[in-house]
Amino acid sequence: MTAILDALSRYSHFATRRPTLAAFVPFVPVVGIWWAVAAMEVVPRAFFPGPLEVAQGFASLTYKGILPAYLEDSVGRLAVGAAFGIALGIPLGLVVGFNQAMRRALWPVLLFFQAIGDIAWLPLLLIWFGFGLTTMTFVIVYTVIFPVVFNTALGVRSVPRDLVRAAQSLGAPKWRIVAEVILPGALPNIMTGLRNGLGYGWRALIAAEIIVGTSGIGFMMFDARRAGSAVEIVLGMIVLGLLWYAVDAWILAPIERATGQRWGLVTKA
Amino acid sequence: MKGLTLRNLHKTYFDPAVGTKVTAVQDVSLEIRPGEFVAVVGPSGCGKSTILNMVAGFLPATKGDIIVGDRAVKGPGRDRGVVFQNFALLPWKTVIDNVGFGLKMRGIPKPERDRVAREFLALAGLSHAADRYPNELSGGMQQRVGVVRALANEPDVLLMDEPFASVDAQTRMTLQEELTRIWQERPHTVLFITHDVGEAVFLADRVVVLSKGRVLREIDVPIARPRVWDAVSEQDDFKRLSFEVLQMVRAA
Repeated sequence: MTAILDALSRYSHFATRRPTLAAFVPFVPVVGIWWAVAAMEVVPRAFFPGPLEVAQGFASLTYKGILPAYLEDSVGRLAVGAAFGIALGIPLGLVVGFNQAMRRALWPVLLFFQAIGDIAWLPLLLIWFGFGLTTMTFVIVYTVIFPVVFNTALGVRSVPRDLVRAAQSLGAPKWRIVAEVILPGALPNIMTGLRNGLGYGWRALIAAEIIVGTSGIGFMMFDARRAGSAVEIVLGMIVLGLLWYAVDAWILAPIERATGQRWGLVTKA
Repeated sequence: MKGLTLRNLHKTYFDPAVGTKVTAVQDVSLEIRPGEFVAVVGPSGCGKSTILNMVAGFLPATKGDIIVGDRAVKGPGRDRGVVFQNFALLPWKTVIDNVGFGLKMRGIPKPERDRVAREFLALAGLSHAADRYPNELSGGMQQRVGVVRALANEPDVLLMDEPFASVDAQTRMTLQEELTRIWQERPHTVLFITHDVGEAVFLADRVVVLSKGRVLREIDVPIARPRVWDAVSEQDDFKRLSFEVLQMVRAA
């Protein structure tokens, strides 16, 4: 027991000093177990590839240029969809958070459409827009927007009243209070909304690519199923996980460190 | 510098907990001369914070007038600077940007407002903290920023709502002395709300005792300035007035 705690404490120190390197350490046992299970060949290797086969698959697909191209397609679609989702979601969240009448009027509608879910729209979207970027962008925007709206509205309402009053007494007009007080005050909640929204959006994208299917990581995985190539499917799964980790570590976490955590609104991670 | 006049001020509101209308402030009239420091003291629930919130424009008055100089108050405005009990500094702005916030709202360019902010920070002994964020400062330092942020915006009247109630006793005494010093260097019309009798007598030219939403009495404080605790606390005037006010507040 003490040995485990000791190891954890040493890992924690290491993680503070070398965070990027330390992120890989927990995966060592995961890969080890994977390798062992594959080596036992309970299922034929063609259906349950080991780490080595997947690594080879990664090398070959990267060499052929398929993986980079598909990755670019998927990330590009997510970026476009997320950008629209944020651009629509934050203002809508501000309005809903600010104005009680608007909140009362919009809330039931928002809940109704949230429940329908992105994938449920796909049949109709395919009729309207066909198999293309418009359909996929719609699905992502639809997925991203709800968590962003709800969390932005929550953030607006959790800004301490005295901060608004202080700004008013210092002569701030309404629009400046929104820009200088409400938005930064709501930022930790907006980031939570963004994190959820992007996470759901990423999953929705993969689902959309499987159904709409012309390119992208989701398409690659489903296409591999037709060819019976388990390697590509597992590779796709790993790429999904890694990519999300990258979005978090390189985009979301740095923003949170520079804002809410810096200002003392949220304790340091 | 302008005076502050409260004329027959009333505030009643519906209290959902009790289920009836409650009168918080009843026919309060008060005349604060330009440059005068008036402390309103009373037990909790006597309506003193309600008065400040109405003067600040945060709450509408049910009846009566609030006049700054010769203009009636309607809503919050930069003619009345407010210092809050919980400091209310903007956590995402550095100290210097908090102090310069009012100037920014007036469209004064960054170099000029930084110059003014530094001047006021120096006045409060905070020059070293200019580039820090509020959460990196102690409570006492945060409230120093709160005070100079209000002053830097050159208000006609300074409203202080139990500003030193949330700092420790030693820091509180230092802040009180600093406030009298700063106030002498840069005279302002001040309405100071507190439940602390000693604080009211130490700081003010005049102490207004409030009870159940009404003015019970007004007492002039003829103690010489500058005031420092070591000297003032030994004076008979201070002891006598504190005792008198305390009796009234306890009976209120």
